[in-house]
Amino acid sequence: MSVAPVPPSTTAQTDGALIRAEDLWRTYVMGAEEIHALRGVSFTIAPNEYVAVMGPSGSGKSTLMNLIGCLDTPSRGRYVLRGKVVSEMNDDELAAIRNREIGFVFQTFNLLPRATALHNVELPLVYAGIPKEERLAQARRALEMVDLADRMSHKPNELSGGQRQRVAVARALVMGPAILLADEPTGNLDTVTGEEIMGLFERLHAGGNTIILVTHEKDIADHAHRTIHIRDGKIESDEERRR
Amino acid sequence: MPFSEAARIALAALRANKLRSFLTVLGILIGVSSVVAVVAITEGLDRYMANQVLSLGSRSFSIQRMPDIITSRAMWLEMQKRKDILLSDMDAVKGACDACGEIGARVQTTRTVKFGRTKQPDVEIMGVTENFSRIGSVRDLITGRQLIADDVDTARPVGVIGADIMDAFFGQTEPLGKTILVDSHEVRVIGVAERKGKIFGNSQDNFVWLPITTYRKFYGTRRSVTIQAEARNMDLMETAQDQTRVVMRARRHLGFAKPDDFSIETGETVMDFWQSATRGIYVVTIVVTAMSLIIGGVVVMNIMLVSVTERVREIGVRKALGARRRDILRQFLVESVLLSALGGALGILGAAVFSMALAAILGGIMSADFSAPVRLWAVTLALFVSSVVGLVAGIYPASRAASLDPVVALRNE
Ligand SMILES: Nc1ncnc2c1ncn2[C@@H]1O[C@H](COP(=O)(O)OP(=O)(O)O)[C@@H](O)[C@H]1O
Ligand SMILES: [Mg+2]
Repeated sequence: MSVAPVPPSTTAQTDGALIRAEDLWRTYVMGAEEIHALRGVSFTIAPNEYVAVMGPSGSGKSTLMNLIGCLDTPSRGRYVLRGKVVSEMNDDELAAIRNREIGFVFQTFNLLPRATALHNVELPLVYAGIPKEERLAQARRALEMVDLADRMSHKPNELSGGQRQRVAVARALVMGPAILLADEPTGNLDTVTGEEIMGLFERLHAGGNTIILVTHEKDIADHAHRTIHIRDGKIESDEERRR
Repeated sequence: MPFSEAARIALAALRANKLRSFLTVLGILIGVSSVVAVVAITEGLDRYMANQVLSLGSRSFSIQRMPDIITSRAMWLEMQKRKDILLSDMDAVKGACDACGEIGARVQTTRTVKFGRTKQPDVEIMGVTENFSRIGSVRDLITGRQLIADDVDTARPVGVIGADIMDAFFGQTEPLGKTILVDSHEVRVIGVAERKGKIFGNSQDNFVWLPITTYRKFYGTRRSVTIQAEARNMDLMETAQDQTRVVMRARRHLGFAKPDDFSIETGETVMDFWQSATRGIYVVTIVVTAMSLIIGGVVVMNIMLVSVTERVREIGVRKALGARRRDILRQFLVESVLLSALGGALGILGAAVFSMALAAILGGIMSADFSAPVRLWAVTLALFVSSVVGLVAGIYPASRAASLDPVVALRNE
């Protein structure tokens, strides 16, 4: 079973942008109450950009990341990824995009506790329908890239926090996605291990990856080349940082 | 996601909860093992019955005053009114039934037999015509000679004994020519019949055959006889019985609409009765099984719902990594089917042990070779049915898992 190809009908005009968000709204309905987690967010992100998203708790950062990562669809607005209109896709097409175009890194790692590091990294390849031999080879390569060649058969509870997050990064990268999304990836790590992960991100960025990272720590955001501040579901500022 | 991957995930999940998995499939285990065991045991009994009953000879039938199987007291009282069957009836059947081979007669009673000081109780004393041991199937002798026409014609006080009598009275010593006492009547032993063993614990070797004339001299002539007949071959079985029925009805002046006032019995009659009894056992078993499978299915469904709830976050992660609805659906369906099939497999194992033990016990009681084989078709059916139960029970939990919103699932603690 392989990933269904995205039909060409959903293709929009491309102008070099990897991600184009046009007036994104996300509204949660809680009984009679409507919560607007995002209220009209627009931006574009070019390939190989390194973007930090900052803002206070509850401002809508995670909601935005879920939309970019195709885990969720906007209530209103249009989201175009690599020229494909994602906001009009069905479940299976979204799953295919998540599988191939997006690599997700979470604050709480979200590794499967009963599976080894290798098997965790193998998962996206399983859903891509890649044969076993090739899968194992690719998963090993990804783990080597995050310097965990000697921890492949360890389970998450046998690894340190930093090592777990590196397994998660390897899993996010194993399919060679266009975009790496990280929602507070250092939130559960101490400063030293956090910096270790950030070093890894720098390397990936240098290698051509597009990285979007949510954080509320200034030190972490400083690794990025562009910072988007959001507050109450709206973009407050969006600035390039020259270094 | 290929099936093998789903199976691997499912097995890992089941292994992580061994005891819970086992308890979950208990209902299915009991359902499957009861049906497999009952099928095995009734099949064993069927074969045993067929061996024993039909060994009387499948071509033979008997005309008797009372039927073999009486199902009520009212029927028994009704049967009491029937007229005796006479030796002249036998002669009439001999004259009219050209589809018949040998035709003979027997009378019997149960008495104590003595030899010197040794007593053998409950011996079947049979008065028979000289051809009796040849009707249907041949009953050979270990030693001595069979009864002959001359013995019957002259009412000679001679007898053929069964192996039990031989054992009780003579052991390794010579039986031929010895005189035994049947009640108070002296009978000279002229032959010993080959051993047949037991049927439902009743010995088939505890008898004395006397010429029917000698028997009547001892016990009087005012007794109904049983006519023992055989068809010349299997194909003539129906014809032979019909011809016999016609003569008997004519001799008793039965009108067109009147039922027979005598019974024609074959080994089939007993087999039919036996089979209708086992059919009842089957029906009960199927009901019990269906009930335990339904309960088992509900339990499996419940545990699968628990399993889905426990793994909401895992489902979220899998979806974030690219699992489609159908991947998640398949994963949980495979888990549910494997779980139930495992219960089915354990049930078959249980049934094999149970029917082996029961076969040993029954074999002991009936002192006969008795086996209750667990058949491949029963195993296949049991696995199939328990898998279907798992599939049905898994549909609702699996579709709930598949339709989880990934964002909500990932937020789950
Ligand atoms: N599934 C949901 N249902 C209802 N409200 C939600 C849901 N997810 C997020 N929200 C609300 O949307 C707002 C933005 O949340 P979120 O994007 O998680 O903020 P952040 O990640 O910036 O802390 C918050 O007010 C939050 O309570
Ligand atoms: Mg958040």
